[in-house]
Amino acid sequence: MSIAIRLLGIGLPVLLAVALSLVLFSATGHDVHEVVLGVTEGAITGFGSFWQTLRWTMPLLLIALGFLFCLRAGEFNIGGQGQLLMGGLGCVAVALLMPGPAILVVPVAVLVGMVFGVAWSGLAGYLKVRFGADEVIVTLMLNFIAVLFVSWVTTGPLKDPAVRGETASTPTVDSALRLSGGDGMSIRLLTIMALAALVAWLVAERSRTGLQLRYAGEAMEAAHWQGMKVDRLKLTAYLLAGAFAGLAGALEVLGPNGRLVTGATPTIGFTAIVVTIVGLSRVPGIIFAALLFGGLQAAILFLPIVSDLPSSGLKILEGLIALLVTAQLILRRGRS
Amino acid sequence: MEFLDQFTVTTLRAATPILIAGVFGLFSIRAGIFHLGIEGLMLASAFSAVAAGSVSGSVWIGLLAAIAVSLALSAAYWFLIDRLKADTVIAGLGLTALCVGGTAYAMQTIFDQRGQMASTVRLPRPVSGVQDGPLAYVSELTVITWMTPILILAAWILLRRSRLGLQIAAVGDYPYGAEVAGVNASRVRLLAILITGFGCAVAGTQLAVGDVAGFSENMTNGRGFFALAAMLFGGFSVIHTAIGGLFFGFADAFGIFMQLNDRTGLPTQFVLMAPFILTIVIVTGSGILKRRRNQP
Repeated sequence: MSIAIRLLGIGLPVLLAVALSLVLFSATGHDVHEVVLGVTEGAITGFGSFWQTLRWTMPLLLIALGFLFCLRAGEFNIGGQGQLLMGGLGCVAVALLMPGPAILVVPVAVLVGMVFGVAWSGLAGYLKVRFGADEVIVTLMLNFIAVLFVSWVTTGPLKDPAVRGETASTPTVDSALRLSGGDGMSIRLLTIMALAALVAWLVAERSRTGLQLRYAGEAMEAAHWQGMKVDRLKLTAYLLAGAFAGLAGALEVLGPNGRLVTGATPTIGFTAIVVTIVGLSRVPGIIFAALLFGGLQAAILFLPIVSDLPSSGLKILEGLIALLVTAQLILRRGRS
Repeated sequence: MEFLDQFTVTTLRAATPILIAGVFGLFSIRAGIFHLGIEGLMLASAFSAVAAGSVSGSVWIGLLAAIAVSLALSAAYWFLIDRLKADTVIAGLGLTALCVGGTAYAMQTIFDQRGQMASTVRLPRPVSGVQDGPLAYVSELTVITWMTPILILAAWILLRRSRLGLQIAAVGDYPYGAEVAGVNASRVRLLAILITGFGCAVAGTQLAVGDVAGFSENMTNGRGFFALAAMLFGGFSVIHTAIGGLFFGFADAFGIFMQLNDRTGLPTQFVLMAPFILTIVIVTGSGILKRRRNQP
């Protein structure tokens, strides 16, 4: 199908969701003009806004790229949120406990974060390919478990004694280990993001594994009879997804957050799925969609400063996009 | 004995919403729809029950409002996945996200409350006034919990002994065959989704004006997904799903018990993990069973 039709197929639902949200905001007594200006300012035009957009693009992009592999393999791994949290956990543990120079600690911390993500995703993948456990439910449950586990770590073993009140967190990692300042983005992080996107593109579009993954997803029986190890391929997809989400978690810790916080980004993993879909399951499209939703996330945090619209209003917009985005105003992706 | 009574009643209270959502969710699952919007429908119903109940002063108007809202959202969901061929899972998750945002937005816009709001009405408790003995705890059960066996029976009859139930199973298992046999698959899916929506409304009402008198953001906290797990656990049978729901109620009650009577020093988080781990075990088990059944 031509790319123009596919773009229209995605663009129409997104526009419809935006229109519906604006009608709702207007009907509940908010100045639509002001809301639109506020969102634009929070995402693009305001001082430091685009930097914030990039800051939120980072986790969305990385998780979405990982989800892409599973989607290609026909596996609906919606555990990005849990894999992100576990990645952050592995990373922060190394960053806080391992002695040594930054040049050694940082790569190890990032790597351990990725390994944690891989393990969390691999668990779901193993249960699926070995026992046929429904991956949607398993990854959902693993998300809840990861939230509780991180909550325990940040209120127990790695608790920051200085923090009081509702939000628990670990102590802040040494500033020498940080990959960005408190404003959340840096050239280093941007470079890592670009490299990750390049790697994802190479693996998904230019490698044997990428091709086999897609084949296994679209025609499992045929792939099997052609001698492919379908189960192993599917497991590979889970491991790749976990590595990318774990990387996202590690970069959150060493970058913008500087520590592991409970409940910092509760819906990023879910939004990332929508990013993959809106990005038409292609790497360039995903980069674009991640920027779009990164901007929306930046605006959600910025909007309460300039407008009386509750930030839950923009969550409605996100929900509407997810609800409508696969609707066949034109295209179809099957999963029954 | 007193402890056992209390524990049983806590289990029943915790199980009621999961059990009802699970049993009525079966209609969608049987029709071939993996309905992840259940969580959101329960949340929207919980809010509607508190909002309409508090404004009107009648808990029954609250229940009716919950049913109306849940049915309307269900109809929209049906339109998207059936008529516009949207992806069942993504649209379901989207519906849930919409309800999470929508209830928070409505609470702030209409009632000017953030985070949570209290309800002025509660579901009646048919057995009351008993001060001691085993019945003292039973008086905590709401009318919906008492009605649950009847609801389960109704669901069983509809699903297993009615024309509609047969059509739902046919549409779920052999959609094209059902069409060829003259069944309007689209209409059957609509009815199945609406019945699920009704169940979610009752479950959400029980959660908000039965157990606790009030609504708080995201108060369902995964119960809709537990309901799905109960269905998988029950192999899509009504009775087994109900037992699965009870099991979750038990795990929940056990968590509450451990929090109150903590002598082991086990962190709360680990106790709270129990139902989630249990779900994974159950889903894995049902996966194994399904594979075994399919093998000759």
